[in-house]
Amino acid sequence: MSGGSNNRRAKIPHADAEIDLVPMIDCVFLILLFFMLCGHISTEARTEQITVPPTKTAAKFIDGGWKRQIINVFGNTQSGNPPRNSIKIGTKSFDAMGINDYTAYQGLRAVLDKVYDSAEKYKDPKGTPLMLPKVIIEIRADADTEYRVVQEIQQVVSDSIDPSDKMQPKKVDLATMRPFVNIDFTTRNPNDK
Amino acid sequence: MAEAADEKIAEGKLDLVPMIDCIMLLLLFFILTTKFTSEEKSISSLLPTDKGQAPSTPQKKVEPPQTVNICIYPADMFKGSQPSGFQKQLEGMRQPGAVIPRAFLRVGNRDPIEINGKLLGSPDKSQVKVEMEKVHTYIREELEKFEVPGDRKTQNEIVVNCFSGMSWKYGLVAYDAVRSYEGQKSGLKYTGNPAELDNARAVTFAPPRIRDYDSREIGNELFEIINMK
Repeated sequence: MSGGSNNRRAKIPHADAEIDLVPMIDCVFLILLFFMLCGHISTEARTEQITVPPTKTAAKFIDGGWKRQIINVFGNTQSGNPPRNSIKIGTKSFDAMGINDYTAYQGLRAVLDKVYDSAEKYKDPKGTPLMLPKVIIEIRADADTEYRVVQEIQQVVSDSIDPSDKMQPKKVDLATMRPFVNIDFTTRNPNDK
Repeated sequence: MAEAADEKIAEGKLDLVPMIDCIMLLLLFFILTTKFTSEEKSISSLLPTDKGQAPSTPQKKVEPPQTVNICIYPADMFKGSQPSGFQKQLEGMRQPGAVIPRAFLRVGNRDPIEINGKLLGSPDKSQVKVEMEKVHTYIREELEKFEVPGDRKTQNEIVVNCFSGMSWKYGLVAYDAVRSYEGQKSGLKYTGNPAELDNARAVTFAPPRIRDYDSREIGNELFEIINMK
């Protein structure tokens, strides 16, 4: 039996050599899974470094077809990286050095301007001539972020102050204002789970 | 290959390799997808477009008497000190870059209660609940005293005045307590749709009081909040 086999191999090399596909498929699936999950994690907008504060009256997120834009605000992070009170929106991250440094808010406003411009708009139901974007701004601030940072972000979001002018009130100009009005504060309910 | 496997089974040896492959794959999948933090939810609010958008300017603003102020400031600060005194007290209380550990919360001119920030941010949910319940009970009892005749829309506006250096969680828990009180009074369910807030009384977070955060200004801000009615 072994002799015959050797004879055949000598004549036609590799004729009965079958490639075993099983380990290859195993590997490919493993790599596929790895990259799927890695990609998912790196674009994850809700970073685990933030612990949101507890409340009782919070509701589940509803979007109703609206766009949701998350602003992450970091509190104390174990390694100090990113620094306390830094802001992350989309893939952009802004660090404020000291409480009189408003550059982070300038960066935030620049991103928000782009979000406003690309968003679908509707007329203000309260009767002002403003066009409001169909975007929910979610402020996902750590429980230990300083209150002033969350407040300044609200001012920046409503476009009522000018971060490049020491956060002074803006002249109200309805034609150029880019306000967002729908705000969600991210929280958790300690009664859940 | 199949025969080989059959032979092995016949001999009493089981091929463990594919099983281990599968288990490793499942293990990796669950490790990467499991989240141990509790589910996040949202508190929705609407920023106003129909009243002045301008935030407060450095000059002192006199609060109209028909506003119910909820004041939040560092614990153990009492009326009677000068701004510089509050400033000194704050410096002694907090290391640079650290958080203020305990807060006083006061409705109008009532006596304040103390909130322990460590308990409110504790990983132990029962401690968090106790601390939250304390704030909810206090705010419910005090707001009851500020009720005026009429429906929810005629009630006095509530403004949350939080010291700028406090942790955000104190402001939010006070806001949450007011929402919970309003929910009980009006039957509001808070489904997350911001439109329902149009029928509730206005609750706002006060905008930052100061623009130039030098040390003297922080003392002034504390003075203003602590002496607010």
